[in-house]
Amino acid sequence: MRQKIKNNDNYLIKQLPKATAYVNLNLSVAHISDSWLRDFNLSLQAIEKNSILGVFPTLTTKWKQDIDYAFLGYKNTPKTDKYFDSSTSKCWLEWTILPWYDEAENIIGAIIQIEDVTKHFLLQQKLEKLEILITVKSQIAKIGSWEYDAINDELKWSDMTKIIHEVPNDYEPNTDSALSFYKPGKNQEKISKYLDQSLKDGLHWSDKFQIITGKGKEIWVIATGKPLFEDEKFVGIIGTFQDITEDVKAQQKTKESENLLRTLIDHLPLNVFVKDLESKKILVNQSECDYLNLTSEELIGKSDFDLYDHDVAQVSRDEDLKILSTLEPMLGVETINIRKDGKQTNFLTSKIPLFNEDNDVVGLIGFSLDITQIKQKEEQLTRLINVSALQNKKLLNFAHIVSHNLRSHTANFSMLLGFLIKEKEEQEREKLLSMLIGASDNLLETIDNLNEVLEINSNPLQEKKNIHANTKIDFVKKNLHSLIKNKGAHIINNISNDVYIKGVPTYVNNILISILSNAIKFGQNKTGNKIELSADKIKGYTILVIKDNGIGIDLEKNKDKIFGMYKTFHQLEKSRGVSLYIARNQIEAMNGKFVIASKVGQGTTFKIYFNEND
Amino acid sequence: MKMIDHICIIDDDAITVFGIKKLLTSTIECNNIDAFSNGKLAIEYLSEIVANKTKLPDLIFLDLNMPIMDGWEFLEEFLKLPIADAITVNIVTSSINKEDRDKSNFYKCRTHHNITYNTKPLNKVEIEKITDIA
Repeated sequence: MRQKIKNNDNYLIKQLPKATAYVNLNLSVAHISDSWLRDFNLSLQAIEKNSILGVFPTLTTKWKQDIDYAFLGYKNTPKTDKYFDSSTSKCWLEWTILPWYDEAENIIGAIIQIEDVTKHFLLQQKLEKLEILITVKSQIAKIGSWEYDAINDELKWSDMTKIIHEVPNDYEPNTDSALSFYKPGKNQEKISKYLDQSLKDGLHWSDKFQIITGKGKEIWVIATGKPLFEDEKFVGIIGTFQDITEDVKAQQKTKESENLLRTLIDHLPLNVFVKDLESKKILVNQSECDYLNLTSEELIGKSDFDLYDHDVAQVSRDEDLKILSTLEPMLGVETINIRKDGKQTNFLTSKIPLFNEDNDVVGLIGFSLDITQIKQKEEQLTRLINVSALQNKKLLNFAHIVSHNLRSHTANFSMLLGFLIKEKEEQEREKLLSMLIGASDNLLETIDNLNEVLEINSNPLQEKKNIHANTKIDFVKKNLHSLIKNKGAHIINNISNDVYIKGVPTYVNNILISILSNAIKFGQNKTGNKIELSADKIKGYTILVIKDNGIGIDLEKNKDKIFGMYKTFHQLEKSRGVSLYIARNQIEAMNGKFVIASKVGQGTTFKIYFNEND
Repeated sequence: MKMIDHICIIDDDAITVFGIKKLLTSTIECNNIDAFSNGKLAIEYLSEIVANKTKLPDLIFLDLNMPIMDGWEFLEEFLKLPIADAITVNIVTSSINKEDRDKSNFYKCRTHHNITYNTKPLNKVEIEKITDIA
């Protein structure tokens, strides 16, 4: 009977869907389901030979304990533990062990049901890990979550969401109170709009909002929300809250600093620019834009070669390279920039190397102060100083001349008159009188000369005219006809017929007569002296060159006196010196000048610079 | 009347030369008065005397403003001449410029020669004083 039942039992148990085994009190397997063998990859023979404990040798002893409890008639609760399978991977097993009774309610063994829960266990573990991760992440990122259950009209906030809202942990929000945290006005309008859209159209949102916390603090959050639907029926919304106040504040601060910096550099009366290692502009201020007549966008990425005259750009690039290689700043250097359109500007420029956080040089910062006007003023001033110094010198010279010449004549008068008073002898008196007349004539001539000089210097310049050089030269030659003849001078005129000079005709007359007559007078020889005339042109001037092969002047010794009044250098009749003195005053009055090159015994080259301006 | 052997007048102005000569002849006795119209002629003359070791003038009247070589240039050259005796050089100028007077003082300090300074016109009292020293 028992055998029959047993056989019957065996067949029934064999077919059980869940892995099940009946073990005898001696722990040998009485019945076992096929599912056991299948699920745990075991052979029937291997199990029948061993005790049940041999099936999972690495499983905890707790299960042996459960079997023992079952033998004693206790019902065990299901338990889980790990074991290692034949390929030594870690697996989890859940077992339920109950006592096995016969018809007479005697315990004859234990019923063991097992299940491989490895997959389940691993999923569980993963879920736990994820939950931990989310919690930590939400704490670090200050992201909280919320969930609205539309069916029960229940709103749930995560801990972090409560922290963000600065409400106690046991705070229970509802839809109205939750919305009231949004800052009244624009923020509330915005969230209401999002909610409407989400209910109507199923849209989700993510946007920046200002909320006022439970403690009354105004903070910035990113709030998101996503409606949930089941069978196209709205069931709720889930969403997140992230506190971004610090980010917003940092951003605002950065923006403010940037704004301050930008306002500052744009309103500096300086051209400010930042260049990269290739000297390409990466930042420019308003002054620099205005100076170059381009927008900031147009200037960025441009090099000096794109903006300035090539030579100027090269100078600037060389400066940049020096600074980038030596890391020494260039401070307050006067530079000249020439734009492509030719406009020249004087700058006082400083360039300093620019470093990144790692202290590597990444470019340079430049400041340029436009000093063109100052420079022009300076030049004007220098010119003015030079003019006044020259005037002063002339005046002083003139005062000396006046003093000396007038005094020397009056001294003579005084002396001669003194003699005359005492002189009794008629013949001697006659002599003294004729000397007095001579002295008086000399004085008159001197006064005439001084007058002429005064007139040149004090009256406004007479109108300049275009004078045909060769016509004038011919006129002067005619004037000096007898001198030329007497000295046997040979004048070679190389001045081409199209040369014109600008000047006051009477001045030009006197200048040419005085210089040409000097050249003729101081010939080396009695006859056959050669005088060459030529013309030249340099910026702003037409130059007449009078070159003789005469006795020359020691310029080293005489440079101060050459044009002084009554200074002569050679013992020759009529070399009174006054004509050169007047000539110099005349050429200077016309903004021209004399340049002399000479060597004793080798002749003199006299260059007359006629200014071409009126 | 005091007797002076040899006097030189260096001046380009004929009237001054005449005047000095006239004043001299009424003050002292001198048979040998030479006149030179600029410094160059005078220094050439004096250099020759030094070279030939003949008698140097006792008194020189020197104008400052002259062509070719002026009084200062003359003085510069004159001081270079190897002359042991102290010779009186009387600067006679129409300049009343303080600079010229200062410059003459500068030369006075540099030499053993006796350098004096007078402005034109010279009068009899001054000539007496000058000749008295020489």
